[in-house]
Amino acid sequence: MGINWKELADNAKSRSDIYGLLSTVFREEPSRDLIKEMRSPRMSETFTGLGVELGERFYTDPESKVAEELAIEYTRLFVGPGSHISAHESIFSEMDGDMGGLWGVKTVEVKKFIESTGLDYGKGFTGLPDHISVELEFMQRLADWETDMWHQRDHEQSEYCLTVQHQFLEQHLLCWVNQFCDAVVDQAEIPFYRIMAELTKQYMEFERQSIATDTAA
Amino acid sequence: MKKLNRRNFMKLAAGGGSALAAGLGFSQGALAGSIKLQAGGRDFSPTTEKELQAIPTACWQCVTRDAMMGYVEDGRLVKLEGHPDSIRTLGKLCAKGQAGVNHVYFPDRILYPMLRVGKRGEHKWKRVSWDEALDLMASKLKPLLDAGTPELFMYQYGRHKGSQSSIMHDFMDAFGSHTIGTHTSVCEGPKWVGQESLWGGMYDNWDYDHTDFVVNFGSNQFETHTNHIPTSQRLISAMVDRNVPLYTFDVRLSNTAAKSTEWIPINVGMDGLVMLSMVNVIMNEKLFRKDHLKYMRVSPDYHASDDEKIAAIKEHVAKFTPEFAAKESGVPADKIKQIARGYAKAKSACLIGYRGTVMHYHGADQERAAMLLSAITNNLDRKGGRVMGVGAGWKTPHSPKAKVQKGLDIVNGFPGEAAFPTHQVSQQNLPMIKDGQNGRPKVYWSSCNNQAFINGNNKEAEAVLKDESLIPFYVNSNIVYDESSQYADLILPDVTYLERWDTEDMVSPTGVAEFYIRQPLIKPLGEAKDQGEIFAGLAKRLGIKLVYSTKEEYVRQACEMTPGVKEAGGFEYMKKHGVWHDKNAKPNFGFYEAKVDVSGDGVILDEKTGVYWNYKKAGVSEAEAKSKGYLGVEGAKNAYVAQDIEGTPRKAYPPNTSFVKSGLLDFYSDNFAAKGFPPFPTYTPIPEHQKMGKDDLHLTTYKVAVHTHSRTAHCKWLSEIKHDNPAWINSKTAADRGIKDGDRIKVSSDLGEITTTAHVTEGIIPGIIAISHHFGRQQSGIYGSGKSSPTPGGAAADPDAKNMWWDKHGVHPNSIIPNSSDPISGGQRWMDTVVRVAKA
Repeated sequence: MGINWKELADNAKSRSDIYGLLSTVFREEPSRDLIKEMRSPRMSETFTGLGVELGERFYTDPESKVAEELAIEYTRLFVGPGSHISAHESIFSEMDGDMGGLWGVKTVEVKKFIESTGLDYGKGFTGLPDHISVELEFMQRLADWETDMWHQRDHEQSEYCLTVQHQFLEQHLLCWVNQFCDAVVDQAEIPFYRIMAELTKQYMEFERQSIATDTAA
Repeated sequence: MKKLNRRNFMKLAAGGGSALAAGLGFSQGALAGSIKLQAGGRDFSPTTEKELQAIPTACWQCVTRDAMMGYVEDGRLVKLEGHPDSIRTLGKLCAKGQAGVNHVYFPDRILYPMLRVGKRGEHKWKRVSWDEALDLMASKLKPLLDAGTPELFMYQYGRHKGSQSSIMHDFMDAFGSHTIGTHTSVCEGPKWVGQESLWGGMYDNWDYDHTDFVVNFGSNQFETHTNHIPTSQRLISAMVDRNVPLYTFDVRLSNTAAKSTEWIPINVGMDGLVMLSMVNVIMNEKLFRKDHLKYMRVSPDYHASDDEKIAAIKEHVAKFTPEFAAKESGVPADKIKQIARGYAKAKSACLIGYRGTVMHYHGADQERAAMLLSAITNNLDRKGGRVMGVGAGWKTPHSPKAKVQKGLDIVNGFPGEAAFPTHQVSQQNLPMIKDGQNGRPKVYWSSCNNQAFINGNNKEAEAVLKDESLIPFYVNSNIVYDESSQYADLILPDVTYLERWDTEDMVSPTGVAEFYIRQPLIKPLGEAKDQGEIFAGLAKRLGIKLVYSTKEEYVRQACEMTPGVKEAGGFEYMKKHGVWHDKNAKPNFGFYEAKVDVSGDGVILDEKTGVYWNYKKAGVSEAEAKSKGYLGVEGAKNAYVAQDIEGTPRKAYPPNTSFVKSGLLDFYSDNFAAKGFPPFPTYTPIPEHQKMGKDDLHLTTYKVAVHTHSRTAHCKWLSEIKHDNPAWINSKTAADRGIKDGDRIKVSSDLGEITTTAHVTEGIIPGIIAISHHFGRQQSGIYGSGKSSPTPGGAAADPDAKNMWWDKHGVHPNSIIPNSSDPISGGQRWMDTVVRVAKA
């Protein structure tokens, strides 16, 4: 049976889009436009299909009010001041006794990994290299590149890109994303971030199983 | 939530994809460039060789500000150690300094501007952009400029030194506000006021490299001195290598006292009295040296002979016999005599004093007694003695000043509170704002200053910060959420000192100035920003012209402007080497003896004081100068040229501070006499101590080696070493109250009550209780406060916190210590509080 190039490309594109969505959610306080889009019939149907309840007020309150509440919630959960869920891999991963600090050994690894693929951190980016949204965005970019390779019917490059994705997932994102999501679920006061964390956790489990399947194959 | 399967996964992807396609994701991604993956391409391994950089910079944990090296591995700061080329530190760095790494990477760190969205103290915040933050600040400041009321903008700082201080003053001058609050009066202000009244300058250092004898009053030299590493290691070397004796008078067996030749326990507030009794011994046993007498004024007569001066000093101290001092101080008379003789007979000797001596009622006068003891033995500004500190004299760029320059009179204490508040009365800043009689700022911006923790009666300070009717707009620059920032309207994420530029200038114990800089070891994390950059951002919005746009540029200009540094290679040299000193420079021992040319135009001799001064520089006619005299012309001290010393014009001790004086050491001070204070150093009993009941105790505070007052509680390495502060109490005092070691005790003053644990020990004199002042944090992260979050049930950002093996976080004594000032200097009287202690 021949390779279904389109299906493989579509699959990679889907993965890229999901990573993009999740990266957006955790990058910063949601904009009013993003809230508007997430309240659109298409997305609300999707969420309903997934059994996701973002809460009635998410859909009925004015966008400005939702944006303000989510901005405060985002700050409380992920920024501070004071204690919060620091959304960085180095915080959640222990290595060589280095644990619980920003810009740890893991941060350097992530940065090097990402830069080794030709990407760089944008000048306008003021976060840390191993922020959850960066790792998700990196996966988005890799899956996007993989999509192009499938479209170009470059089997070798596509497979290599998948290998790189698997490496990054196994060495980094999958190592801590569950802990991070559990913390968010535990600490969230309004449904939005709790639901997004649950969704992220489920999707990452889906990815974990995909890797296992690929490896077994 | 349903389990994700391929079908709904594709739906989610479609939704996510449409949002992204519509440009509704992040406006700008974190990652730039494009993927360039190649099989067998660039290898990546964390085990390959890492890039390692050693970058010279400067510490800022405490005011000592040691030059140091930072080691950066793959863009990550991994280690700090002393700068091997520093003539001050000789390559050493203390524990606090080495733990500086904790500041950068602790997860509770504030990394983004934050706007308050709940009530003050409700801990409800929203992240905002820097543009929003600066626009908001400008919207509050611009009306003050437009109304010609720049003084309603108050800047309150704690630790600002070197260029961190000069750039702030430059900005405030450009804005036009002189409403600038400091913190020195809660630190050691009385010491400086005492010195300035004599020396015309301040900051004593000691030439331990050459001294033969050291007497220490109330200074924890080996643990916490303000010039700790440069001085303590030299003193230890002197003791070990040359058998120099160190006698420490202290109420408590500090680690300095423990390492001394002898610890001499002394009653609270008696340091000055014992010093005066030592003067008594030295004068009566003719052990004094005449050399310095000609530079001393000890009576109203500026022209007294040596014999007259000797007689006057003897008369002043006649009543302070060793026997009298012994009765009051608890120090045996024979011990006083022994140490006085040893001190006076030594070829050279150092007299140290610090907070234990000066943070009292008339604390400034205690320092004057220390200076007297140094002067009569010719150990002032001489090799091996107490010397005026020499720091780096940086030249700095200056922006145009605003035409309107005003300041609120709220930084020098309440009317009549302090006669010479040359280092302000900062503990009263917030009480004065509460009082309101001298006005209130509309914009209050604090930086590196935790008012609600560091002052006496800190709960009152907290209440003022919380009250929007008293402080309408409060901005706090910080790296950590603390007792003060929790009430701010806007929190600005400060850079740590390991991420910023500065020129530095702390005093060198060698007598040769060391110029050094601080440079960023890493890029600021998150959106942390240096104050210098914030000033530039505000200036732009306010239409103020500054001559720099970044702190780096400011430091660069300073390096290119400063003689010596400039010739050595300026900014590029300092970036590479970090430190510079003039290898041909000599210590300034005996600087006061320098002959001065007085033939200049406008220079005349004031017969009364013996001062040569330039009346033209003072802006008066010759006739007016002669009729009013040096002391009668306002500003004449700024035209001081020399002092006539036995017929020769010499530099002597110029009046370089606000004190109007001759070039003589004013041991007899007209300034003091005019304000109703003893003109000659004396012993003045502490009023509260005269009224103590049978069961009352003295409360004293102290510092430990591994913490600053309020800026290190979040450093986990340091908090692991020291996180609790049980109250030291003598076994006899404890037994009288039925208290055993480890018992919970209540300590109460007229202001309130705290509960702590008793540390029963022979290492403290009877009748007092000592509690260090670093702990009992309400905020400051989990390592400082033990609380995972400012709000109940909040998240703990740091998983390492689970490794905390301690659950004690101490108690803060400041809540039972009133804000009470030395009436001479305005210094906070930390050591004068009277308390009751009982088993809890």
